[in-house]
Formats: sequence, C-alpha cells, structure tokens
Amino acid sequence: MSFAFDHVSKRFGSVVAIDDVSMTFEPGLIYAIIGPNGAGKSTLVNMAAGSYPVSSGSILLNGRKLERLKKHQISRAGVARTYQNIRLFDQMTVLENLEVALAPAEMRHAWREVLVPIYAGQATARRRATCLRLLEEFGLADVAGVHAELLPYGRQRMLEIARALVAEPSVLLLDEPAAGLNSAETDALKLRLRRLRRPNRVMVVIEHDMDLVMSLSDRIFVLHHGALLFHGTPAEVQANREVQEAYLGTDDDLESIRELARHRRAERGLRDQAGAVRHQA
Amino acid sequence: MASALVAQSRSPVGRRLVGALALAAVLVLLLMVPHAGLYYVRLADDVLIYTLLGFGLNLVIGYAGLLDLGFVAFYAVGAYTYALLASPQFGIHLPFLVILPIGAALAACFGILLGIPVLPLRGDYLAIVTLGFGEIIRILLNNMDAVTGGPQGVMMIDAPRLADYALISPRSFYWLLLGLCAVIGVLVLRLENSILGKAWAAIREDQDAARGIGIDTVRVKLAAFAISASIGGLAGVIFASFQRYVSPESFTFNESILIVLIIVIGGVGNILGVITGAVALIVLPELLRGVAQYRMMAFGFTLAALIILRPQGLVPRSFGPVRLLRWLLAS
Repeated sequence: MSFAFDHVSKRFGSVVAIDDVSMTFEPGLIYAIIGPNGAGKSTLVNMAAGSYPVSSGSILLNGRKLERLKKHQISRAGVARTYQNIRLFDQMTVLENLEVALAPAEMRHAWREVLVPIYAGQATARRRATCLRLLEEFGLADVAGVHAELLPYGRQRMLEIARALVAEPSVLLLDEPAAGLNSAETDALKLRLRRLRRPNRVMVVIEHDMDLVMSLSDRIFVLHHGALLFHGTPAEVQANREVQEAYLGTDDDLESIRELARHRRAERGLRDQAGAVRHQA
Repeated sequence: MASALVAQSRSPVGRRLVGALALAAVLVLLLMVPHAGLYYVRLADDVLIYTLLGFGLNLVIGYAGLLDLGFVAFYAVGAYTYALLASPQFGIHLPFLVILPIGAALAACFGILLGIPVLPLRGDYLAIVTLGFGEIIRILLNNMDAVTGGPQGVMMIDAPRLADYALISPRSFYWLLLGLCAVIGVLVLRLENSILGKAWAAIREDQDAARGIGIDTVRVKLAAFAISASIGGLAGVIFASFQRYVSPESFTFNESILIVLIIVIGGVGNILGVITGAVALIVLPELLRGVAQYRMMAFGFTLAALIILRPQGLVPRSFGPVRLLRWLLAS
C-alpha cells in the first residue's frame, strides 16, 4: 500500500494555494498536517478526496492517479474523509448513516434485494450487523435509531468518523476532527483515533490542537503559504525554529500582538468604567 | 375516528381488536367498491390511477429529493404507446399484456433521456427544465399529426384483453388497477428499504457527501428517473386502454401539478401519504360539487389551508405502512 502527493499544485485563478507539494505516506502511521490558517491544509484533503481538481502534479494511491478519477471512484479506491464542518445525512438515523456507506459496494445487488425478499432480509441483517459493531466501537449503539441531526456535536463527530470507516479505507483523511470538542471529548477522540491504526492504512489528520497533534501523530508535515516548510517527528517539529516562526510569528510579531492585547484590555477597562458611570447617573 | 377509538381502549387486547377491525373495514370497503354505483367505481378508478402516478413520481421527489414538474410526459408516453400499438391508427393490434411492458420500458427510456441533461441541476432549475420537458412532449404529440393524430388524438383504441376476458367496464379496471397498485406499492416499498433507497436518501440529504462515501450519484439518480418514469408509463397504458381514446389535452401541465400536489398534500416520501393524497385530491372536488360554481375556489382554499396547517403532509414521512400495521395491531 502506498500513498503520495507528487509535485502537487493548486491554483485558484492567480492565487497559488498549494505550491509544488510532495509528500510520501507510509502505511501503519498517523500523519498530521499542520500550518497557520490559509496554509492550504484543507485544500490538500479536498484534492485527495476529489472535491477540487488538481492544477498540476499527481496524487498516487498504489500507483493509481487519483486526480483522474471522479469523486465517488476515489472513495471506492479506498480514500475516506471527514469534513471540517460535519456533514452527516441529518434526516437519516445514525444506523442508516453508516449503512448507506455500504451502498457503493452493494449497489449491484439492489435488484435482487427488491425482488427476492429472502435475499433482502439477509443483506439487511448483514449490513446492520457490520454497522452496529462499528457503532458499538464508537459508543453510538444506544442512539442507532435516532436521527443524526439530533445528536450532540461531539457524537456527530464520532458518527462522521465511523461513517468514513465503514468501507474500510486504506487512506483516512480527518479534517480537524477535534474542532469544537471539549477537552474530555478530545482525549476520547485521541484514544479512538489511535485504535484506528492499521498496518495497511494511512491516517492523515489536519488539526489545530497542538497537544493532540503532538501526542497522536508519528510524522508531521508543516505547510506554510501553500508550500511544505518542514516534515519530521513531533519532537523534530517542536525543536524547529522555522516552524515556530511560521506558526507563532517572529519574536517581533509576538511582541506586537502582546502590545495589541494590552491596548484592547485598557480599552475594555475604560468602557466598563464609562458603563458604571452611566448606571449611577 | 379510528384514532379516537384506539385511544379509548386502554387494554392491549382491545386495542389490537380495534386495529384489526379497522384493517378489516378497509379491506371490506375495497371489496365493496365494485358493487357500488358506476359513479363511485369510476371515482375509485381515478383515485387508483393517480395513486399509481403518485407512487412513480414519489420515487423522484420523495426519495431522491428531485423536484420533477414534467412527470405527465411519461404518462403520455405510456398512453400513446398503447394508443399506437393497439388501434387502427397504424393497423397494429398488439395484446395488452405485451404493450404494458413496452410502454413501461419506453417511458423508462424517456426518463433517462430527461435525466441525463438535468443531472447537474437541483431545486428550482431542475423544476423548470422538467416542466419544459413535459411541455415539449405534449407539444410534440400535438404537432406530429402523421404519427399521433395531432390535436384530434387517437381514437378507437382496442379494449384490453386478459386471456379470454375483455376489460371494458370500470369495474374490471378497478380490479386491474387495484392489483397493479398493490404490486407496485410493494415494489416501491421494497425499493425504499433497499440499499438503492438508502442511496437515494443520502443524495436527498447531501449530494456531495453521498459522492464522498462512494455513491455514483449519476447512476443512482438515473435509476430513480427510469423507475419512476416506467411506473408513469404503466399508468399511461392503463389510462389509454380504459379511455380508448387519447389526445394531448389529457397531458397538460395541470396534470403534473396535480400529481405533485397529491404527494405534497399526502406526505412526501411515504406511500401511505401518496394514497392519502390521491384519495383527498380526487375525492375532494367531488364532495365540493355542492357549492357548484365556487368549487375550484373552495378546492384551492382547502389546499392552501392544508399546506399551512400540515406542511409535512397529511401523513408524515416516518409513518410508513409498516409503522401503520404495527400501530394498528401491536399492543
């Protein structure tokens, strides 16, 4: 199993969002892609999943050029993803959200399912068993019959990840899985994601939560202005000065941000005082 | 009334009894219709044919979530298939049971023909293009005088025969339609619960995410258009064989709207809703005959009131036939 970006670029009009990025992923490892907002992290995922066309270069899965496939074919080839803002099938039940992910593999037998009741019963039971097992793993079995839109945010995240796993993908792309989760949920997520590691699976996580990134991933790619700035182990990334500057800005930037913060605090203080005075009057 | 009775009987046995009685009452009613006056039988025939059309259109609107305003085109294709293959128009007189699948298949082809250009469209745009398609078919039928007989239509269509039995009376058509509705209803329900039905639901909910999990939305949507159109075609064949006369006038935009209304008023995406809608929209204008010249106005007001009071339709999507049976019979 091999997965790689080979000199991939993405231009939106005259804006270069991704500039000649090459990355090689080894199966069995968890990768993180980090970088400041607008660095092009999501663009990479969107290209790999077929949501955006690639401007130049290739995305290779076992030698197949994914950029030549349609979105659903990419998914069938073994790439699954989650979205930055959760996209579930809201009016379908939690169980159905997973079952439908088996549709691509079972569509050929749809006619048999309609015309032969016994076969339909077996197929449904099989699907249900597969999906219920996954739901149990994700702690969602108790809400199997509930519409997805009614779940709390954290559980919707879990459901989306579970849905991505139904087809047993060889590449799992997670776009900010911890966004909007509280710290307990993030810890649970970390444990869950660790357990999704498979010898023949590449996991790629885009994430802003540095604690999660550092403790979860084996390798980290750092993007900056659409180009690959650095890659290495979490320890190497943390030690790298260039990365720190890209992420946090230079010391000068840092100082100006602190200055701004002081200024804002002072302003707020004045406003509060003014409010208090008005109250008394 | 049935629900009031059910609510009154607290004991499970009593409740089950009421449920079974209600079911039996419906069955008896269905069996009694042919013994009623001819007016009522014709009315029932109308309800059944619109139920069939509703089943077809509901696949596209209710399951796949695609607003199709040109459904009458497939009805017309089915009707003209029978009209041209079983009339003196070309001197062809094929048997009814042979034309039935031909009409359905031809309509399915037209369904795909419509489906391909509208694949990228959604919502309002889709509605406008399908509306146009419906009109194109009607205008073609109106103007291809040499083939379709133009505005005069096709006359002297053969009466359908099943084995040695000629179907002429509204009563015999009642049984034919009832049987067909039952068969198609079961098939549609099985489709809804199949993996294909789940894929339709996913497309309805979020087309991009559906593609993202590997669903070939092109094929799945075309399947919806084709199957839906073939049911429209079946209804058309029966309509032509019942009327024994077809003309473009029977396939105007109003018909498409009526079928859409049946689904929307009855309950989108639910075959019980379609049946309820067909009964409501076909029977209601008859009941309003009492107010003579204000009839259509009263009809319009009633529809508007229904939509405002029950925007999800008379029967909600989740209350399907299985739920109904369970609700009636289970304790």
